[in-house]
Amino acid sequence: MSWEHFIYFAIAAVLLWAVGAWAAWKSKSGMAYATTVLGLLFFFSFILSMWISLERPPLRTMGETRLWYSFFLPLAGLIVYSRWKYKWILSFSTILALVFICVNLFKPEIHDKTLMPALQSPWFAPHVIVYMFAYAVLGAAAVMAIYLLFIKKSDIADQEFFAEQSDKVERDITDNLVYVGLAFLTIGMLFGALWAKEAWGHYWSWDPKETWAAITWLAYLIYVHYRQLQLHRDRLALWIIIISFVLLQMCWWGINYLPSAQGSSVHTYSISE
Amino acid sequence: MWTKPWTFKEGFLIGGGLIFAGLMLELSVGPVMWDAFAWPANAIVLAGFFVMLTAMAYLRKKIYAFQWMTTYQAAIPAMVYAVALTIIMGLTRQQANGTWLNNMLSFWPFVLIYVYITVILGLTIHRRLRQILRGEWSMKRDVPFLLNHLGLFIALTTATLGNADIQRVKMICSVGEPEWRAMEQGGAIKEMDLAIELKKFIMETYDDGSPKRFASEIQILTKTGKNIETTIDVNMPYEVDGWKIYQYGYDTQMGAQSQISILELVSDPWLPFVYTGIYMMLAGAVCMFVIGGRKRV
Repeated sequence: MSWEHFIYFAIAAVLLWAVGAWAAWKSKSGMAYATTVLGLLFFFSFILSMWISLERPPLRTMGETRLWYSFFLPLAGLIVYSRWKYKWILSFSTILALVFICVNLFKPEIHDKTLMPALQSPWFAPHVIVYMFAYAVLGAAAVMAIYLLFIKKSDIADQEFFAEQSDKVERDITDNLVYVGLAFLTIGMLFGALWAKEAWGHYWSWDPKETWAAITWLAYLIYVHYRQLQLHRDRLALWIIIISFVLLQMCWWGINYLPSAQGSSVHTYSISE
Repeated sequence: MWTKPWTFKEGFLIGGGLIFAGLMLELSVGPVMWDAFAWPANAIVLAGFFVMLTAMAYLRKKIYAFQWMTTYQAAIPAMVYAVALTIIMGLTRQQANGTWLNNMLSFWPFVLIYVYITVILGLTIHRRLRQILRGEWSMKRDVPFLLNHLGLFIALTTATLGNADIQRVKMICSVGEPEWRAMEQGGAIKEMDLAIELKKFIMETYDDGSPKRFASEIQILTKTGKNIETTIDVNMPYEVDGWKIYQYGYDTQMGAQSQISILELVSDPWLPFVYTGIYMMLAGAVCMFVIGGRKRV
């Protein structure tokens, strides 16, 4: 199995997820669950066969981590759907997954099949997978924030009372997404610390990736604490989510292009020695 | 301004004041000398810090600032400053011999802001503990709170103050020759309480020549009388008598035929405390996931 076969699995999975999203709109939740799970199984079977043929977990290159991102978005969507029954969430997660699948189809970063010794650890898969899940959920929170700030705002002007009511539901969704995302972000970061102790001899070295992970984590903590305030400005809170997500991009891939991180980060694996 | 209750304005001013004070300190006494915190100084400082926090908590009714420090209006500006300074750190090249922004960890404004956050954390935890002792106790609210906040407090204080006690030395082991001398980070030679003899260096490569595995078969003899034969891989250190032994390097000229192996030995006596904090935060994160979003009461 290789990237050449990816397109078939991707099309099948996206079609199944699209049917699931449609079923959710039509309140056919049984069908929504079935097709989304089937799509996830299809997509995961590609990841699994890549894993087998590469003889290592496909978690090393940006292309490979996008693969997980595309997988976890619909999964996160499904979990949110099962918990809070938002009709739109599956459409949303499918569209986002499609974006990442398209990036992989049109700009695949295909690398050799080797895994350097520093990455051969039982911590490798949980560390990256937990982070990918966190990124997916926090991505959803960022889109919710953009929606509430720039699209929903017209509603607020039109029908203040009802907007206030419906807005509250969406604000709670956003909070839930941030809480779940922050929980996974914390777990991913701490798994990273425990792994770093085994691999490099210290749990926290302020490597550029670690520095940006701390920044991202603190930024979401600011949101969580700000929202606890009885009197806070809603729009500012939503902006904090968007800024935090921008900082998260820096942590995820931005540091690869950051001059200050060049040559000093043990997390940039592009140059093999 | 400065009328009670204090708001974000006062919070941002206090943070700004700390940054100004930090700049003055940086100019007058130079960067923070973390090495000065080696044992027993770090234990004394930590004990003093606890005494100070407790005193601040009990003086809260006399000194309004100490009471105010347990509010969001204090915590959020402090976190905003911490994010801003850490972003600067992420954008500038950090060097051990750097100054000011190029060595953020020893830059007074950075250190003072993080100490301030730790004080806020400590006072907030103290307040919650007082509430719990009064019997105002909620499992769902207080257990995650304590795991997250106390865990972070423990990890932050012990990791920072314990850092000066960390020893990292390198040992160049040759086949057939027991070695007991190691090189400290500054280049000084240190005689260890254990000797390591390299039995065999192992290097495996993939078909395309890129490295697949580095490992050392070694024999360890300790002054405590242990005689251990083991294999050390990258990512698989071996621990003996408080030292973790890591595969670090080899003779790159010789490659798989290398007759030497460079091992790194790390001792971190504060690690159990830091890990206690980390595991508490992990449990706190699981709670956060299970309980989910904010439920306002």
